[in-house]
Order: sequence, then structure tokens, then C-alpha cells
Amino acid sequence: MESREHRLISGRGQYADDLDFPGMAHLVFVGSPHAHARIVRLDVAEAEAVPGVIRVITGADVVEHTHPLPVQANFTSPGWTWRLAEVYAMPADKVRWHGEPVAAVVAEDERTARIAADKIQVEYDPLPVVAGAEDALKPNAPKLYDDWPDNKQVHLKFDFGDPDAAFKEADRVITVSNREGRVTGLPIEGRGCVGHYDRGKGTLTMWGAFQTPYLQRHNIAAAMGLPEARVSINAVDIGGAFGLKIHAWKENVVALASKLTGRYVKWFEPQRDFIVTGPHQRDVSWQGEVAVKNDGTLLGLRATVTHDLGVESTQKGIAALSIFPACSSPCNMYRWKGMHIEGIGAVTNKSFYCAYRGYGKDKGIKFIEAVINRVARELNMTPEAIRFKNFIQPDEFPFKAINNYVLDNGDYPGTLNRALEMVDVDKWRAEQEKGRAGGRHIGIGIVTSIEPAGVAVPNCQMGGLTQARVAICPDGTVEVDSDRTEIGQGSEISHVNIVSGILGCKKEDVYVRPVTSETIGQGPLSSRGAVWPASAVAKAAKQLRAKVDRFAASMFDATVDDIRIADGVIGCGKDTEKQLTFAEFANKAFFFPGPRRLPKEVLLEHEQLLSVTTTWYSPSTPESGSSYTTFCTSADIAVVEVDTETGVTKILKYAHVHDAGTVISKKVIDGQIHGGIVQGIGEALMEELKYDRNGQLLNTSFAEYLIPTAVEAPVIEIAHLVTPSPFSETGAKGMGEAPIIGSKAVILTAVEDALSPFGILVEDSPASPERVRAWVNGSKGDEQ
Amino acid sequence: MKHDPKASHCQCGGKMSRRGFITALGVGAAGVAATGAMTARTATAKETPMIPSGEMARIDLTVNDRAHTLLVEPRWTLLHVLRESLGMTGTKAGCERGECGACTVLIDDIPRYACLTLAMEVQGRRIVTLEGLMEGEKLGPVQEAFLEEDAFQCGYCTPGQIVAAEGLLRADPNPSSETITRAMSGNLCRCGTYPHIHNAIQSAAGKRR
Repeated sequence: MESREHRLISGRGQYADDLDFPGMAHLVFVGSPHAHARIVRLDVAEAEAVPGVIRVITGADVVEHTHPLPVQANFTSPGWTWRLAEVYAMPADKVRWHGEPVAAVVAEDERTARIAADKIQVEYDPLPVVAGAEDALKPNAPKLYDDWPDNKQVHLKFDFGDPDAAFKEADRVITVSNREGRVTGLPIEGRGCVGHYDRGKGTLTMWGAFQTPYLQRHNIAAAMGLPEARVSINAVDIGGAFGLKIHAWKENVVALASKLTGRYVKWFEPQRDFIVTGPHQRDVSWQGEVAVKNDGTLLGLRATVTHDLGVESTQKGIAALSIFPACSSPCNMYRWKGMHIEGIGAVTNKSFYCAYRGYGKDKGIKFIEAVINRVARELNMTPEAIRFKNFIQPDEFPFKAINNYVLDNGDYPGTLNRALEMVDVDKWRAEQEKGRAGGRHIGIGIVTSIEPAGVAVPNCQMGGLTQARVAICPDGTVEVDSDRTEIGQGSEISHVNIVSGILGCKKEDVYVRPVTSETIGQGPLSSRGAVWPASAVAKAAKQLRAKVDRFAASMFDATVDDIRIADGVIGCGKDTEKQLTFAEFANKAFFFPGPRRLPKEVLLEHEQLLSVTTTWYSPSTPESGSSYTTFCTSADIAVVEVDTETGVTKILKYAHVHDAGTVISKKVIDGQIHGGIVQGIGEALMEELKYDRNGQLLNTSFAEYLIPTAVEAPVIEIAHLVTPSPFSETGAKGMGEAPIIGSKAVILTAVEDALSPFGILVEDSPASPERVRAWVNGSKGDEQ
Repeated sequence: MKHDPKASHCQCGGKMSRRGFITALGVGAAGVAATGAMTARTATAKETPMIPSGEMARIDLTVNDRAHTLLVEPRWTLLHVLRESLGMTGTKAGCERGECGACTVLIDDIPRYACLTLAMEVQGRRIVTLEGLMEGEKLGPVQEAFLEEDAFQCGYCTPGQIVAAEGLLRADPNPSSETITRAMSGNLCRCGTYPHIHNAIQSAAGKRR
């Protein structure tokens, strides 16, 4: 059987843009040039007259034929603010950000659709623009949603532990602030899909870049007003996702277009649209104060983190929810007495907020790591010393943290120690001293982090859904279903390794099927792949293995303890006569299952089929309420050199130590580490979506929104520790987001260290060359 | 006419799908056949009204050592013709404006962005796409190295990366580490697989020697 890897390498991948169906029409969107405006008139006559145009769909059509987008998260605790807006896939009356689609053209081919799209005439009445969170929250700011009292969508307040006691005990309290720019995850492949509404059956089938088919089916069916049972969502090869393909929004317009035209309708999003109307993330600012003892003991934190959500973020996207992990994650891996954290989400005239690798955990950890390094500097401690003083120790697990997370296990000091073995920080510190004398600015950054993985929270669609099926077919091959779409993070190979390891079948005989909405689950998000779906797959494989053992024992007239399975051969003790291949075994089990072959109880219990469907739920969450199940550990050490003349930061050394529990595939983990670190470097040094005061997005291409190339990717040294998690079926921990969390924090703290002679605090990111130059120019002028 | 992957001169111009049907012409050695086909297309155009978009021009393209004769609009890019006319979807559309490198192909052994190359301008040139690096059903050496080194994740930029690497190794069979990094800087990978891609190119250089 051809593997996914072989298929993609030989150019036989089937991504959304490669889909082709008989009579397929093409859809393109028309976006608003204004960031905030009333739609006065929308004239499609000229566009519809273009030969080859089948139909133009306007916001008014969407409002007439579909329902508002369903709410994906709703928290109504007393004292909290959580507002919802009524939004459709396209608006009929008002646009709220630059690029928001107002119409879609369906034509015989894409080029015709584009030509016609240019002929749609829209008259707008511009409204005052809310250009950022700070403006949005001012009294009398123009409102985005008329029925809201102001622009605050979310305000959460948390008391973890005893914050007052923590501050009372403090020797000193240090004021801290931090801001990070707006970014987008931006896979090279945009969103895209084909929709087909069968008018006869009343069914809707869609194929495309769907990261979470089961949830997307629910949301598309709700918006379309179709019974969920009549909707089928199918993931094809996906050209990267990173969270940006979990929502269902424009996909509804594609579904409607098919319903109205009766045609297969394809939409493949150009990169510019993906940036301008795509999910955005970060864009937060922190204000707070940290309470510490003079010996470096961390005590408490009071902080508020304000998010610029763009337009509402509980329907188009689901990232108002990411304010929760942003507020909880500052506890990181240290002992704290108490924290008071508030999370605010303001709506502005920018594109919507949705998931991107990190999903708030990155924000809290980046913030606290910067804070801790600043505290260390004030107390004249090294960054490593302050961490060793405050780590939760290996004998304290499972550890119930003040933020309610139940930390599974790990060796936090051991992880940092390993990183310190890889990088001789004392040598680099001497180098730094020497360099400074000659005008070289070397900085050393140290960051340690845990990654909360495998989200399960109430009041939203991320409640902890997963299902898996492992089956042996009558020919002996094995098929695996789960909700874990392959988005490049190694789902398929991981499941092949897990299943072949448990069943004893050959790896090449395992086929991991493309994910569809037939399998219940949240899909791969929150690094849950190795936690939830992999656990469900492992559990199903174990149950199936028990069946194989039982059936084989019956066939061999032996006991289950005699059954040995390896490399696709089922054997019985040392008896080489008694051997069956999977094909021979399956054939007997399926087609000749009579009482002479299978134990009669198996038949009486209706357990004869070699197919197991099961589900899995976190063992720690039900009792503790911990939103996450596993917590992988990492330590990042980076050495950078900042050229204060040009503002350019060069990475001289990068070491990453990782403990993701049991290793299912080292190649996959290493790839995730490289990718996360490179993306984090992009965020730390290059990436920022820039809106002007009128809400126009200024950088809408890879030429202006810079992401790392091969040149910016450093040599990354990796070491693995293995502390298997007691909470997952395989001992593996989710790890896909850990590298981005550590890397952006470590690079920024290293830049701050490099610029310390200037008295510069790196409180804003990215530390782009122009920003570094501005800092240097704005500093006291000379090095102190 | 049926697509014959083994023929040195393809008789259909791609797979028999809507994608290929509209613009790909089957031409054998005789020009008469081409005229007939063009007439046929005009008739089709009458039945399905299409936007009048300028003159269609007849061009000859050599892709992966096979000659194709096609009708194209002068504004069509090589990327569009490869994917939509010839049905060769191994070459991917990324940004479609010369920034990401997903559509990289070789033109006379030099990596170029197919999205910035007009189909008409590469007549008579040797065009090689990812599919052309296969040795029958077997992977070519660069592909094999990418597979062994796990030099991709989502796979979307991978065709462009592999073709760019092939172009590099044709020009410099023994590239230094620095040369590899520079040569590959026109191909973005958002999965950040750069370290594995780097290893794969070093390994491929060895395989090709």
C-alpha cells in the first residue's frame, strides 16, 4: 500500500485545490474596502450578465437562506462579561473589517468569477473605525455591535490561590508590562473546499481542508438549517492548519452556493484573502505586578491581559475562549502562592480571532518567563538559579496547581539541567562581556515551560470529544479511524506505530483512513492528538488485540498466554506448526467463525467481529476539573547577537530539551520541534500584521508579512527526556505547541539580555530590526 | 482521445476531465487534426457560453520530456496551464505572485516560479515538474532523500522544495551548507521543516554522485 509520505512526495496529494468534480463551478468572494461601513447599495446586475456566471450570492441571500452562525462557547458566570453577537456568514447591512466578504460569485471557472467579481458595485457609507483594543475600550468609542453597551466582548476574573497573602508576604513588588503583535499562522495552503448539495436526497457533502470535520459538520449544518445527519464533511490532504482551519465560516457560503445552483461548487482561497480575512491571533498587552522574596521565591502575580479580538470571536472563530489559557498559563511550572488575573477581550474593526498554535498558553508563559527573567536581573540572580528555586519537584506529582491544572509529571530541574549541559552558558557570558567591550551585543536567553495539552472544558464545543475505531479486515489488513486529521503533524504515522505495536501486525498493513465527520471528535487542536485520539486508538487496538489473542487461542486449542504476535504472524508458544498470518487468521474469523473456530461465548456475546469502536476521556479531568490532561516539559536556551546598527538579530546557538513522555515517533516529534521553534522565531523577530488608523491591513502578502525562510532557521540542537504520562493510554504527552511557546519567549528574552547595556526592556514584539533601532535610538543614546 | 502517460507525445493534453477538456488539444503529427480540434472547441464554446477573453494561441510545450500542443490565452501562467490544462496537479498554487515557491518548476534546469511565468514564453524550453523527477513508479534520488529525512510535514510546499533542490544539485552537485540555505531561501515552508530539508539535500547530493 502506498504510504501518505510516498504519495505526497510523488506529487499525488489531493489537496482542496486539486479536487475536480463533473460540472464543478467556482466561487470567489468580494471583500469590503472599508473597515467599518454601512452597505447602502449592492448591484450585481453587471456581474450576473458576464457570460459564464451562474449566480451571485449577496449577504442578503445569506441572511434569507441561512441561520446565524452557531455559538461555539458561552460562559455566563456571575461577575464575568461574555457577549454574543448575531452574525451570518456574510453580512447584509454592515461590514466590520477591511476585506469582510459582501458577495460571492459562482461561475463556470475561477477566472470568469474574478472578472465578474470586479463588476459588482457596492455603495458604502463609512462609519468611524475602532482601530485597536485601547481605542475600543474608551468611553464613547464607536460601537461594533449596536445592541452591546460597549466593545467589551469578554471580561474574565480569576483568583488562583491566595493573591492577597502572596503580596503581603513579598519583599518586593515589581511592575511589569508586555505586548505582542498581531500575527497569523498562515499555512502555505489557504482554506478551501468543494460543496455538493444533493437536491434529491437533501444531503450536503463537502470535501476540503477541514481540520475538525465533526465539529465543522455541526456548525455548517446549524448555519445551513440542515439536519446534521444529512451533512457529511470530509477532510482531504491538508496543506498545514496550525488551528486556522478548525472553524466553519466561508464554507457555509460554498454550501449555500451549491444548494442554490445544484452544482458542485469549489472555493480555494487566495493567500491575500487568507491574510486579510483569515483567523488572527496574539495582539495582547499585559499590565501587572509580581510579588517576590529577595531570595528569589516567587509568590504572586496580579495582571490584566487585554486582547484585541478583531470582530466577535465566538462564532466565526472560537478564540474568545483562548483568553482562559492566557489567564491560567502564567503559573507555568513553578510554585506560587496566589494570582489575580483578569482577561479582557475587546472587539475592533479587524479580522476575526481564531486558533493558532499556542492558543493563549503561549501568551501567559511568554509573559511570565519575561517577568521571571526580569526579577532575576533585579535580584542579581541568574535565570537558571531563579528557576531551580521555584520549580515543582519530581516527587510532587500529580501536582494540583493553584490554577486548577493537575500536572501529570516531569522532571523540571532535570530538563533545565540537560539544556545547561548542551549550552555552556558561563562560556557565553564571558563571550558576552568580552564582546560588549568591542561593541558586540550578545544575549543569552533561558526559558522553561510546560505545555498544557488536550483541552476539555465545559460551556463550549471543546468538551473532550474523541472516538476511534480499529478493525482487522477479512483480508488481514487493518483500518484505523479517528478524529485526528492529518495536518502535517504526523497523525497517520503515529497511529500506524501505535496500532502495529499493539496488534503485532505489519506497519505497511495498517491504513489510517482520511478523517470524516462520521467519527466523533474535536480533531487535532490544543496538542490533543497524542493525548485524546491516540489514547482512543491505543485503547481500541488493545481491545482488538485481546480479541485476537482469544480467537487465536481457540483456533490453536491453546490459552491466550501462549499467543505470540510479531511482524504480522500470529503464533502459539514455541510450536512453529501453529502459525497464522493476519490474512489467514482474519479469513477464519470472519468467514468460518463457527463454534469450532471461535469460543462459543464470543458468538453468544456477539463479539465475533474484529472491529472495535471506542472512546476515551481524560482520567484527571472529571475529578479535578483540570482543563488539560498532559503537560510536556521543555527548556530552551538561545544565544543571539543583536546588531545595534542595523537592528538585526542573529541566532548563534539554539538548544531545546524536550520531555513529551513516551515517544511514539521521534521523527514526528523532531519535526514538530523544528517547526514550532521556527514559527516562534518568526513571531519573535519578524511577524506582525499592521493595520493603519483606518483599519486597512497594510501587509497582505508574504513579501510584506515576513515569515522565516531557510535563512532564518537556525541550527537546532535537540535532546529528549522521557517521563511517560500516567494520564494517557500510551504515556505520550501532547507537544505540538510547546516549541512555539518556548522559542518566541527565549528569543525575546535573549534580545533583552543583549540590549541590557542600553537599559532597554523588550516589552513589545516582534523585535524587528526597525523596532530594535527605535529602542536603541530611544535609549539614553549611549551605552551605559 | 485517451491520456497515455507512456506516449512520448501525449494525445490528449491531460486527464479527461473538465479541467483538461476545455483548453487542451489533441494533436498528432498532422496539423489537420489540430484544426479539427479547434473547430470542435468553438462549437463547445457556443453551447457553454464562456467569457470572451481574447485570442487563444496555439503553443507547444515540452513538459517532462513530452511534447504537448495546447490552446492558451496569452495571459495564462505556466502554473495555470500545468494544473488546469494538463491536469498535472503535482505543482501547487501557493501565493500565485512569486513569493512562496510552492509552484517551482525547472525551466532548462533552472528553478523558476510557474506562477510568474507565462506559458507562451516557455515554448521550446525544457520544463520539468515534480512528476518528471519520478523514475517510473520509483522516486527519484532527491525525492527519496526527502522521504528518508522526513523533510516535509503537510506536504504542500514540498513539490516546490524538491524541484528547487533538484535545480540546485543540477547546477552544483556538491553544494556547501551555506549554498543550500541560500538556494532554498525562495521556498517557504510554514511547517518549518527547513532543518530536515537541509539534511535531505545533503543526502541527495550523495545519492546523485
